[in-house]
Amino acid sequence: MQRKIIENQLTEIFRDVFGDRSIVINDGTTAEDIGAWDSLSHMIMIGDVEKKFNIKLKLREINKLKNVSALIDLILAHEVQLI
Amino acid sequence: MTFTSFNFLFFFPAVIIIFYALPYGWRWKFILFASYFFYISLKPVYAAILIGITIITYLFPILIEKAVSQKRKKKILIYNVILILLPLVFFKYFDVINTSLVNLLKGLNLHFPFPEIPFFMPLGISYYTFMSLSYSIDVYNEEIGAEKKFGIVALFLAFFPTVLSGPIERAGNMFPQFKSTLEFNYDKFVYGLQLMLWGYFMKFVIANRIGVYNKNIFDNTIRHNGHSVTVAVLLYPIQVYADLAGYSFIAIGAARVMGIDVMQNFKRPFFATSMSAFWRRWHISLIKWLTDYIYMPLSYSFRKYKMAGIVTALMITFIISGIWHGAALTFVIWGTLQGIFLSVEAITNKNKKAFVKTYNLGDRRWYLVLSCLFTYILFAFSEIFGGAVANIHSVLLVIKKIFLDFQGPVYSESPSTTLFLIFGISLLFLAEIKEEFFSGSHLLVNSKNVLVRHISYSVIIMIILLAGVFDESQFIYFQF
Repeated sequence: MQRKIIENQLTEIFRDVFGDRSIVINDGTTAEDIGAWDSLSHMIMIGDVEKKFNIKLKLREINKLKNVSALIDLILAHEVQLI
Repeated sequence: MTFTSFNFLFFFPAVIIIFYALPYGWRWKFILFASYFFYISLKPVYAAILIGITIITYLFPILIEKAVSQKRKKKILIYNVILILLPLVFFKYFDVINTSLVNLLKGLNLHFPFPEIPFFMPLGISYYTFMSLSYSIDVYNEEIGAEKKFGIVALFLAFFPTVLSGPIERAGNMFPQFKSTLEFNYDKFVYGLQLMLWGYFMKFVIANRIGVYNKNIFDNTIRHNGHSVTVAVLLYPIQVYADLAGYSFIAIGAARVMGIDVMQNFKRPFFATSMSAFWRRWHISLIKWLTDYIYMPLSYSFRKYKMAGIVTALMITFIISGIWHGAALTFVIWGTLQGIFLSVEAITNKNKKAFVKTYNLGDRRWYLVLSCLFTYILFAFSEIFGGAVANIHSVLLVIKKIFLDFQGPVYSESPSTTLFLIFGISLLFLAEIKEEFFSGSHLLVNSKNVLVRHISYSVIIMIILLAGVFDESQFIYFQF
């Protein structure tokens, strides 16, 4: 349930950052699937994720992200730490 | 010895025969021996620098891994980075710093003679320095473990196919391959030889041929008209491409013959429809290195500034890339231009996409062709600052000629050399069009018919021998 909520919030961020209202994401979504998701827009997206979830991600954590599922895991891990 | 030396014709087959005659466990050790033989044959003293860098590259990642606290790991990494960068900075910038200091003191009426140290930069130092840094940083970031075998680290840095000009490989890709059994694989063996053949074609038939033409123009720009200078400027990206991609194909091919996969360095860059797409296809191993170890940490630090942070990170990254190419104003301008091109694209990206979508331009061939041409011209113009000519005065002269001198015909050495030039470039572009748009179909060199395959190889070898330029020119990127 918690994953679904995060996924919905991420969808909004992705649509905004990558400039495409039709973006739909799932666990397996990668940069390959979204044309505008490149190394330039990636960090803007990360900045928005940090702001939205009030977390601070480390560069090495960001570098290891492979897909949306890994990003959700990372957000959850940080939220757990916050609690 | 380099790939274009006569000696390499004997060295490479001998290495391959011995390599496959040895038991599996000895193969990587033998490539290490062959790699040092290859490197020492250039100038023995430079092997000392390579060994020094290898020792640091071996020890520091182990220390980083063993350090208990994050703070200590970081401290060791900083010492590691400084130590590894010192030789590169010394060899690349000593002359410039020395001359600047002497001139500065002269300006103050102080004549203090600094010692002049005559030396040449060790070939490949930039490339093995970058590879060493990436290994240490990857260990620090816990992306890979520190290697315990000194020989494997030594081979990673000295590997003869890549030591002189890359591709700038990563330890994570190379270490496991060096430690594997390196069995004979017929497909890899043949594909490796095909890549090498194509690399030699690009170097001898295209790069060296354009090199002769461009040397004539750029060494005597004042004597040539704007048309000829424009042709030289437009040919220069193809020259650099044929030179560095040609080198890369030989390097990747030589490694592949031994069963080792080295990363792709070029992906048909002249089909890029924007500068950002271009930089994803051009000198990929360098751009990936710059992205991972300079751009990403910078854009991470500036991420709260959103687009302004991205632009700042881009500008700094490309100016550093420019200064790496050479300590000269022209290279700083080159880096700044690339930074500006990419920043403008990043800022206008959303609007451009909407525009393309609204008018359905994405599928229009004329739009794609125009985009490719525009990208090419932008890059060709930036390359006037990126090494095409020697200094800022020559750059200004070239630009003046292009825009103000329209008298006379385009310079041509002779009809036959022009024909060879057009023939070589046409063949290159035909092969690239085939790869880009019809990758499913087979080239003649991959035909199932043995006779067709062998005739194709023979024709390419004949073209190299007949249309190639075998002069003293070295690969352009050796100087960096």
